[in-house]
Amino acid sequence: MASKTKKQIGKVANWILTFVLMLVIGLPGLWVVLTAFRPNREILAKPAIWIPEKLSLDNFGKIFGYGVDQIAIPVPSYFANSLIISLTSTAIALLIGMSGGYAFARFRFKRKNGYFLALMLSRTVPGIALSLPIFMVWSRLGLIDTKMGMIIIYVALNIPFTIWLIDGFFRQIPKEMSEAAQVDGCTRWQAFWKIEFPLAKSGVASAGIFAFLTSWNEYALASQLTRSTDSKTLPVGLMDFTAQFTIDWAGMSAMAVIIIVPALILTFLVQKHLIAGLTFGGVKG
Amino acid sequence: MAEILLKDVVKNYGKLEVVHGINLFIEHNEFVVLVGPSGCGKSTTLRMIAGLEDITGGEISIGGTVVNDFAPRKRDISMVFQNYALYPHMSVRENLGFGLKIAKQPKDVIEERVNEAAVILNIEDLMDRTPAELSGGQRQRVAMGRAIVRHPQVFLFDEPLSNLDAKLRVQMRTEIKRLHQKVKTTIVYVTHDQVEAMTMADRIVVMKDGHIEQVGSPLEVFERPVDTFVASFIGSPPMNLIPGEVVMRDGRLHVAFNADQSVPVPASLADKTTEGQKVIFGFRADDLMPDGHAVPIMGEASGLRLTVDIAEPLGTETLLFCQFAGVDIQAKMYNPRMVKPGEVMDFKCALDKTHLFDAASGKSLRG
Amino acid sequence: MSIVSVQPRRKSRRDWTPALLLSPAFLVLIFVVLVPLLFSLYTSFTNYRLIRPDSLYEWIGLRNYQRIFTDSKFWAAFGRTIIFLTLALNLEFIFGLGIALLINKITWGQRTLRTIMMFPMMFSPILVGYQFKFIFNDNIGLLNNALQSLGIGDGAIAWLVDKPLGMFTIIFAEVWMSTSVFAILLLAGLFAMPRDPLEAAKVDGCNSWQVFRHITLPFLMPFAFIAMTIRSLDVARAYDIVDVMTGGGPANRTELLWTMIARVGYDNSRMGQANAMAYVSILLSIAFTYYFFTKLIAARKYMGGAE
Repeated sequence: MASKTKKQIGKVANWILTFVLMLVIGLPGLWVVLTAFRPNREILAKPAIWIPEKLSLDNFGKIFGYGVDQIAIPVPSYFANSLIISLTSTAIALLIGMSGGYAFARFRFKRKNGYFLALMLSRTVPGIALSLPIFMVWSRLGLIDTKMGMIIIYVALNIPFTIWLIDGFFRQIPKEMSEAAQVDGCTRWQAFWKIEFPLAKSGVASAGIFAFLTSWNEYALASQLTRSTDSKTLPVGLMDFTAQFTIDWAGMSAMAVIIIVPALILTFLVQKHLIAGLTFGGVKG
Repeated sequence: MAEILLKDVVKNYGKLEVVHGINLFIEHNEFVVLVGPSGCGKSTTLRMIAGLEDITGGEISIGGTVVNDFAPRKRDISMVFQNYALYPHMSVRENLGFGLKIAKQPKDVIEERVNEAAVILNIEDLMDRTPAELSGGQRQRVAMGRAIVRHPQVFLFDEPLSNLDAKLRVQMRTEIKRLHQKVKTTIVYVTHDQVEAMTMADRIVVMKDGHIEQVGSPLEVFERPVDTFVASFIGSPPMNLIPGEVVMRDGRLHVAFNADQSVPVPASLADKTTEGQKVIFGFRADDLMPDGHAVPIMGEASGLRLTVDIAEPLGTETLLFCQFAGVDIQAKMYNPRMVKPGEVMDFKCALDKTHLFDAASGKSLRG
Repeated sequence: MSIVSVQPRRKSRRDWTPALLLSPAFLVLIFVVLVPLLFSLYTSFTNYRLIRPDSLYEWIGLRNYQRIFTDSKFWAAFGRTIIFLTLALNLEFIFGLGIALLINKITWGQRTLRTIMMFPMMFSPILVGYQFKFIFNDNIGLLNNALQSLGIGDGAIAWLVDKPLGMFTIIFAEVWMSTSVFAILLLAGLFAMPRDPLEAAKVDGCNSWQVFRHITLPFLMPFAFIAMTIRSLDVARAYDIVDVMTGGGPANRTELLWTMIARVGYDNSRMGQANAMAYVSILLSIAFTYYFFTKLIAARKYMGGAE
């Protein structure tokens, strides 16, 4: 009897802990989302107004240039820049990553671990530390404040991790699949596209989404290498809302929602494959 | 005609040589089984024939053409893999037709051949399932189906039955044999299971450490093993092998195991041994039976008195484990009666069926 | 090279396919990472300032390094960065482990919980920074408002400004963002955990703590090292958080190596000196990654054939 109550107490404690945990994870984001729908007046009120009196899309209207008091920050072009840069760099990083990941998964060659480590180490260079030399090189090449300049950087940023993930996904496919296809009359190239790629497709897709999010969220490099509406991305644009002493909390929150939403949707789509890819690539040599 | 010729075939992985110059000729329509313990190079050899491994040295030809530099698809072979390697994203029908589709065969030809294979293997009901929905035995059949639809010159099997349970394995063994009689192609089959080798092969190739030890029909290999390795590897239970020395006793050559135990050298081997030679005396459990046994012994017999350690009744026969000259040996008894551990029994050994191996080289003295 | 008695009939050709497949990746990385880094290595020995282009050729030897190594502010930022990383990574591991064990016990709604747990990982660091800047704001922040409404204190705690609290808030934000990496991978480890050793240990008389300590934890360590490696690949993204939340201020109280690089390089436009600091930060990152990567390899060997 006693052990049963003890068990039940444990269960309740588990639930309470889980609730607190979810609160800590979820509340900050939800608070920002809520703020995005409230007028500045209410946000700044003292004492605090807990129950919103009125929720509206005004803040979104403002930052997209609709309504009476529209603001001067060109969010639509930031959004377009973010989208173009992220999508293009993801597509290129995926192609390069697939070719590299396949090489690691399927071939034996000398100093394989060394090459892998070298790739990973290239990713460890802190963005801000890398931004200085890139700034110097890019300004000589005329790539400062261009989408092209950012795309190239993000491709490089995404290659190591894309290779890590894709290597893991290809290694989950038995080598015999490709061999069977080759015996069945395929060239190695055909065997890849007809057998191995379709099997790794969902894994490759999640590697792609991960790469997309990295580009979409990147700030350290973009903040130094973009200047104008030509190439400024959403995370950099977010800082436009802060002046020396004032912050437009409502506008910033609305913009934050715009940045978060794609990330949330995509996370939801890939979570399962992502976990599989990370653990597999890491645990199995 | 699809005969296969291996000439001085060598395989290195980096500095490590795993196959040391193999020579083998496989005839058209022959069923050859490569058998040996794991790491003996049998799978590597098969994969070199398939073109899945580079050939480091030597030459492989199929149907008279040297195929060393041919990609697998150019060799007109098909292969059944140990884990079947069915394409998980395709239905059984698509799996079977894949090779033909790649070869750009017309649709009606593909369908006809796929259906033909389905009938041969009795998998017509499974055609629209995916591999995940099949049992082990069904996957095995589909894998074989995929191999036969293309009517290749050569079938390669890489331990195809090792993932099946014992009962299914026995059943598939006969089915593969029946398949060979139906489709008549050259088959190279790799296994580590000597029972599979014995039951299926036209010819057995016993391999060890990257060398071929012996090539021959199942009975040849069983009855005339060339060395102690083959003798202990082929046949179940393994051949009893007892070290001894050739001595002269009572005017006849004997193999002496110690001061008081010895067995006469069979007449057929008498001129191949010399006094003082260190040898290994070998005989199968079937050739050592309790005295006064219902099965008569052909030819000369020699008596041995042994103490039984353990008796394993198997139904029609009972396996007796005894100690002799410090070595564990096994004998067979066909009349069912309970034997108690520790019981002392008189045995007869069929001398004409015994073997003598040179102790140093392990080679059979029958030559 | 190898002496084989049978001369290979055909020259065993080298397979160039993997080299070909890997070349695009390495070319891009050489162009975007290696070349700029070599260039910056050079500038770290010059007196380069953005506003004076010709200063690029003013070779001053090790003077930049001398200057930063004798600068107490640099060492303060360096020490703060080490403390920041050590605290953050350890807290992330402990919380991640706790969360993984917690969620592993829950059967109903587990998948939803797992998904929610992944969200912080996908947040842009800049958003995480903004979000906590907002919540920890001394005037209108959620936290102070709540404290005030509940009548605890006067509701004017200067979270982001106060000396120890400033570091606390940025570590909080960092831990909030990255704990899920650990939680998710450790949870995956728990799922992959074979049952037999657990049961064997129980039969052998271990209590639940001993089972955890001697069976579960060793099995989970490779997963923890994957998480550590993944994390250490991008430790510097904390820069984004700090940049938004405090900008390294006030009065350098939350200055980390990375914000210092940005200030010296761009705001003070002393590129040469900033590059010298950048090299220190790069070596620091590489040291972290290398350490965890070797740990990962070792742990993998230790797991042996456990597959």
